[in-house]
Amino acid sequence: MPEERPLTDDAQLVARTQAGDPSAFDELVVKYSPRLYSLVYNMTSNHEDTNDLLQDIFAKAYRSIQGFRGKSSFYTWMHSIAVNMSINFLKKRGRRFSLSLDDVDANIQNDKEFIDVTTGTNPVREADLGELQQRLNEAMMKLSYEHRIVVTMFDIQGMPHAEISKILGISEGTVRSRLFYAHRQLQNYLEEFRIK
Amino acid sequence: MLDESDIQKLLRLKRYEQPSPQYFDKFLQDFHRRQRVELLRQPVWKIAMERIEAFFSEHSMGRYAYATATAMVLFFAGITSFNILNSGSQVVAVTANAPQQSLPIKPQIAKASLPDAQHPRYVIDTRPASYERSFSF
Repeated sequence: MPEERPLTDDAQLVARTQAGDPSAFDELVVKYSPRLYSLVYNMTSNHEDTNDLLQDIFAKAYRSIQGFRGKSSFYTWMHSIAVNMSINFLKKRGRRFSLSLDDVDANIQNDKEFIDVTTGTNPVREADLGELQQRLNEAMMKLSYEHRIVVTMFDIQGMPHAEISKILGISEGTVRSRLFYAHRQLQNYLEEFRIK
Repeated sequence: MLDESDIQKLLRLKRYEQPSPQYFDKFLQDFHRRQRVELLRQPVWKIAMERIEAFFSEHSMGRYAYATATAMVLFFAGITSFNILNSGSQVVAVTANAPQQSLPIKPQIAKASLPDAQHPRYVIDTRPASYERSFSF
């Protein structure tokens, strides 16, 4: 992971980039790449595709930043670019893809939710992490792009409904209904993962 | 059956799926390399299109708004071009209807603008070609 940098205001960094200081954009790349990586990876389920797409996303943002006027936050603008490019990429890729799993951070073993789902009253089968990861990714890939993106942003990235609705340009009600439907579908896909 | 909160817990675990720690350090270097390569091959019109797209995406318009805006632009462009064409044909009509004396147009130009049917035709030989003997001397 990149070293921790002092939190600089995005607007300042954007203004510096627009004024011709490329190092300001580097700071934005460092700041946003882990978050956007997660967004794109959970949409594509493939590390190589994610890497290429993330490069394209930042390249596009850099080329377009002169047109950014701050009507929305840089965070929203950047995520909108990432979402649109990811969906366009997935439409082009179609069904030709293979799952490639990223490493799972060892801290997962200490996560309360991991302990809950593996040792609770109705534990998920104590499978190895790789299998759990693969099953989840397979289930995610069965969702439509619209459902997958809301699940990624809400459940995985922990974004609030209001932020998701701004990024996707849809109402909060639509975000909630897509989430509900997506959870129902995932429940069906993951049912066999349950202990009998 | 897994309930909704189980699903949410499982999904939250996906936060731990991350590339190796060195990945993000290398990412910035790769990005710089890519930018340099791109500078050499990106056409200017493509950059301009991306900037326009980015400008409109900031206004968070829906796809119908884009379609409506495009339709309006096409509509007004159509009206404008129709008006221009119409005014052009009116000028031609005025020119054609005006009396000949009042137009200070050079004869060559006036001839050039006449349709084919009105061009003077010259008959070079009045006798048709024939293989029969001619009786005239």
